[in-house]
Amino acid sequence: MSNFCARYLGSVLLLWFTSISCLSWAQKAKPSEYQVKAAYLSNFGRFVEWPAEVTAGDAPFYVCVLGQDSFGPFLDAALSGEKIGRATLLPKRLSRVEDGADCRLLFISASEDTRLAPILAGVGKSVLTVSDMPGFSQRGGMIQFVVEGNRVRFEINLAAAQHAGLILGSDLLKVATAVRRGL
Amino acid sequence: VAGGLVVIRKVQKRSIKQQLIRMNMLVSGAALLVACGAVLTYEVAAFRQTMVRGLSIQAQIVGANSVSALLFEDPESATKTLSALSAAPNILSGGIYTADGEEFATYFRVRPEALPQPVLAGDRVESHRFADGELRLVRRIIFQGKQIGTVYIRSDLREQASRIFRYLVILAGVLLLSLLSAFVLSHRFQRTIAQPLVGLAAVARVVSRERKFSVRAVTTTSQDEVAELIEAFNEMLGQIQERDSALQSAREELEQRVAWRTAELETVNKELESFTYSVAHDLRAPLRHIQGFSAALSEEFGAQLSPEGVDYVRRIVNGTRRMGLLINDLLALAHVGRQELHLRRTGLNALAQEVVQDLKEEARDRDIRWETGDLPSANCDPGLMRQVFYNLLSNAVKYTRPRNPAVIEIGQTQVNGEQVIFVRDNGVGFNMKYSAKLFGVFQRLHRVEDFEGTGVGLATVQRIIHKHGGRIWAEAEVDRGAAFFFTLNRVEPF
Repeated sequence: MSNFCARYLGSVLLLWFTSISCLSWAQKAKPSEYQVKAAYLSNFGRFVEWPAEVTAGDAPFYVCVLGQDSFGPFLDAALSGEKIGRATLLPKRLSRVEDGADCRLLFISASEDTRLAPILAGVGKSVLTVSDMPGFSQRGGMIQFVVEGNRVRFEINLAAAQHAGLILGSDLLKVATAVRRGL
Repeated sequence: VAGGLVVIRKVQKRSIKQQLIRMNMLVSGAALLVACGAVLTYEVAAFRQTMVRGLSIQAQIVGANSVSALLFEDPESATKTLSALSAAPNILSGGIYTADGEEFATYFRVRPEALPQPVLAGDRVESHRFADGELRLVRRIIFQGKQIGTVYIRSDLREQASRIFRYLVILAGVLLLSLLSAFVLSHRFQRTIAQPLVGLAAVARVVSRERKFSVRAVTTTSQDEVAELIEAFNEMLGQIQERDSALQSAREELEQRVAWRTAELETVNKELESFTYSVAHDLRAPLRHIQGFSAALSEEFGAQLSPEGVDYVRRIVNGTRRMGLLINDLLALAHVGRQELHLRRTGLNALAQEVVQDLKEEARDRDIRWETGDLPSANCDPGLMRQVFYNLLSNAVKYTRPRNPAVIEIGQTQVNGEQVIFVRDNGVGFNMKYSAKLFGVFQRLHRVEDFEGTGVGLATVQRIIHKHGGRIWAEAEVDRGAAFFFTLNRVEPF
């Protein structure tokens, strides 16, 4: 029911935002914060060197959102029709970390701040963890969104990624505001 | 057309040597220029291609390194990537644009400028344009099959210009060296063609100016047309020389024959003259006998003779006197022929006046008007010249007898630029039809009954004038007088 409501609301919002964006195109209005973050989520996977066993099959590339979904339709829009390698990008919304066994990228909503330690402990191997909660990268997360002025940037905890068997590309590190190499 | 003619004349004035060298230089120069032009064109095209490739690679590198910056909206990173272009001094500016065409990051070598909106037609990945001394290149940034932006690079052509300049300097050097060596080589090789021709021309000049046919053009060892020409020319000279010498010997032979004939003729003439002289001389003695005995007959036996007999004797005396005159004249004529000329500067005025005085004495009873003009001095034999005047003037006195008064004129005039002395009278004259006979010996145009004479006087005059190298002729009309003109080759000016 809430799912239906959310979808309905999402469709309305999508229409609204599309019209807004169409209108605001001429005014060069900046896309919203979560629109940008959604786009980033669709691209992070491209700069990661994934272990062979993960990319072997034809399984979709699930971009999962754990906890409160602030993206709304933006994530679906950002992922729609996109592919990384042979894998199709698909959104997935979770309420429990245990449901995300097939996730390749896990966005942990700020609403899960207090439960971060067990969540991180429960994340499967080779899952790229992203969040916008403060201190995420210090606390063992891999990529943490930071808002600088009106721009969305991110910090990287390279050690956490390496621990998970993921190699983050230098191109990604280049555009990160900070790269944490040690634990 | 006039300019063309002038050019042709100029070209003709140059020697064949210069023409050959000039031709060689022009040909090699033109060939070199064409070759250099082709190489230069190829070089420019090749260099442009290289430049485009280099710029394309730089655009690809910039694009590849800007992927994450574009995707994660980090213009600083893109700017940093772009700033690597500063390593290439030819790149003036560069820019990265988002897929929407918005300016994302820029690079300027000197100072910021407005960058143009990059435009790529259709689905072309890259395009370039040479304009305003610059090369501009636009390339799509494609990441995993999707265009995420565009890169734009503008480069100057300074490198190309300096390279072309360097190339031109080398070309100029090569051209100069080639022309120099072409000059040296053609200078050396023109000899084989020009030298024989120059020699031939010199020989032809000698032949035409000095009419010297014994010279020959130097033959060459080559077997070309020039050698043929020289050979033909020499052959022609030989033929001319042969003909010339044949002509010369024929002329010499002719001259010899003429001289021989002249000598023969002179001998005969001399013989004839001496014969005439001796006959005339030998006739005198018997004539004197006849004269003497006729006179004796008339003196001693005149009383015994009948009037008829006296008349016969008188006729004999007259006949012998005339015969004596004839013999004297003949002797004088022969004398003139045999006599050597004793040339002396003689005033013809005085000479003529003497003769006139003598004749005035002789014709005291007649009314004669003498009109004597000024005569020149001449280098002549005075005795003979006196005889000329005497004969001509006495003739004038004789043939003016029917005139009262008679007018006799002596003077000089110019005929065709030649000084001519004349004796003119208003006597009976003669028919010009007979003028050819006038100066012949014993030729008379009047009867002895009308005008006495032997017909030797004018022959003598002609002989004297001819001996002086002059000419004599007459103009007359029946009853209207006669005029005799003569020239003296040795007449001197006043």
